[in-house]
Amino acid sequence: MTELLTVRDLRVDFDTPSGPVRVIDGLDLTVAPGERVALVGESGSGKSVTAQAILGLLPTARVTGSVRLDGQELVGASRRILRQVRGNRIGLVFQDPLSSLNPVMTIGRQVMEPLLIRGVRRAEARRRAIDLLARLGVRDAARRFDDYPHQFSGGMRQRVVIAIAVIAEPDLLIADEPTTALDVRIQAQVLSLLDEIAAERRMAVLLITHDLGIVAGFAQRVVVMYAGREVEQGPVDEIFGRARHPYTRGLLAAVPRIDERHQGRLPTIGGQVPTPAQRPDGCAFHPRCSSTVDACRSEVPLLLPRAAAHRVACHVATRHAEQVTEV
Amino acid sequence: MLRFIVRRLGLMALVLFGLAAIVFLMAQVVPGDPARTAAGRNATAEQVAQARERLGLDEPLLVQFGRHLSRLAHGDLGTSLFTSRPITADLADVLPASVELVLAAMLVNLLVAVPLGVISAARRGRAADLAARLIVMFGAAVPVFWLGLMLQYLLAAQWQVFPLTGRLSFGVSVPERTGMVTVDALLAGDLGAFSDALAHLVLPAVTLAAPFVAVVARTLRSTMISALDRDFVTLARAKGASEWRVVIRHGLRNALVPSSTIIGMQLGWMLSSTVLVESIFGRPGIGAYAVNAVLQNDLFAVVAVVLVIGVAFVIANFLVDLVHLWLDPQLRRAGV
Repeated sequence: MTELLTVRDLRVDFDTPSGPVRVIDGLDLTVAPGERVALVGESGSGKSVTAQAILGLLPTARVTGSVRLDGQELVGASRRILRQVRGNRIGLVFQDPLSSLNPVMTIGRQVMEPLLIRGVRRAEARRRAIDLLARLGVRDAARRFDDYPHQFSGGMRQRVVIAIAVIAEPDLLIADEPTTALDVRIQAQVLSLLDEIAAERRMAVLLITHDLGIVAGFAQRVVVMYAGREVEQGPVDEIFGRARHPYTRGLLAAVPRIDERHQGRLPTIGGQVPTPAQRPDGCAFHPRCSSTVDACRSEVPLLLPRAAAHRVACHVATRHAEQVTEV
Repeated sequence: MLRFIVRRLGLMALVLFGLAAIVFLMAQVVPGDPARTAAGRNATAEQVAQARERLGLDEPLLVQFGRHLSRLAHGDLGTSLFTSRPITADLADVLPASVELVLAAMLVNLLVAVPLGVISAARRGRAADLAARLIVMFGAAVPVFWLGLMLQYLLAAQWQVFPLTGRLSFGVSVPERTGMVTVDALLAGDLGAFSDALAHLVLPAVTLAAPFVAVVARTLRSTMISALDRDFVTLARAKGASEWRVVIRHGLRNALVPSSTIIGMQLGWMLSSTVLVESIFGRPGIGAYAVNAVLQNDLFAVVAVVLVIGVAFVIANFLVDLVHLWLDPQLRRAGV
């Protein structure tokens, strides 16, 4: 299968007053045409930085490694090439629809902008924008075209942001926490809307989220990140059914389930994600992990295949597997 | 929207009333007796008393204030004790020249400060930013009278690029309509006179604008920087927009809302700082008129000048409100 997006050994460093800090440390990721991949992790694990690094939107960071879109290298690419990719081949949806929209520009102009930038005639752009907004469930789209963002509700704003991301018919949509800022009822609507529009247009989606609960019905493959590193990756059934990494298991245990009765509080993972500057030696997760061995404190675990397309970076999981094989 | 404007106009009337009261009281407490000035230096006590009666200065303060207000409402600023002409006539002679100077200086201000602020913000921390900030610093640090004299000495006296003083060259005249010679020359279709008037306007306008450029450029730089850090700017880049489009359409457009407040207020400040510039470049104007009025102890003229400048501030503020309404759609709906 030829991949649409191939990220290899992506590293992102930010210069801070106390020296460079590595926020993303060697991320590998692929997205096939039309595939849905979820990038999962807690706040501070480097998910959003990954999205912006792919599009070259981090002017102050040092990005190394490789990001290829249909074989075209994007890391270090010229501004001209990046501009052709942005909006046109990769669309982006941010978390907060209010801050994503320019408060002094009508929503119509903002939705048309990706088309106008590419020389589509205004009348044509307007027609397509209204059609798309209507398709995305914005009622009275033609009449509301000249309204401003503050005249829209949160859910409607996020539909506008999705319209901006998909209007130029990109091959890949990167949705960075697209439902986090919305209330629960609207979350489900927006997610199923993303699902439909991606299916209609055969778009691949990279869904970035901290919420494993929304991943199961949406993605085909899951990549779990912790403190700027990838800790586990695999098909959605493997991850939900046979997660190997203690962090992934912790995340799964923290998802409330409707079909299981919980006694008392939901289980949580103690502690919090270390800041990139204070990432511990060895496995970054070991201070929060309940089953550590000596190697966890000194060696960074490699991402090793467990089963078909299922890879884990955990000393304990790997050791356990070896013992199983020996027996 | 209409309600907003009506409300602002009402507020303006209130501010003007307050201003008239303050100016009236000010005239009561400053030293100097207008009746004595009016009667003349060698007047007898009897003549001074006559003048006092003629000017209504012997009546109770409240009555005087009432008359003061009613005169103002009729556009009557009183009679100059020095020129013995209606002050409105005096002002009609000098005000257009000052307004012309202020508008020209504002144009220079915007043409220089906006690009400097935008470049500074878009290239923050780089060579262009440093250069822009140095220029701004220079404009802020240099005293107006020194800058005016240096420009006059170098560009007018030494290299003769611009005329030395005045509003028009000797022998050039334009039919007076608005009192602003550049505008009058254009209205008369006299391009020769227009370029002559414009040449006379350049150095004074640049001198007057210099300290204001610094304020606008600095304000715009900081508001632009915070605007450019916002999500919708990143999203505009993610749409594939050119850097120019991102900076102007998304950054500047948002930064203009707070900056326009300061730019508007500057119209009033500029009018009150014309004094030095007008005396350096030998231009008649409200600044020169004010200086004369103070030196001659011409109380009514001083009061009139203060009032006019106050009115200029009020008008500038109203313009700012209108511009805000146009720039910021959230205000339009809220009708704040």
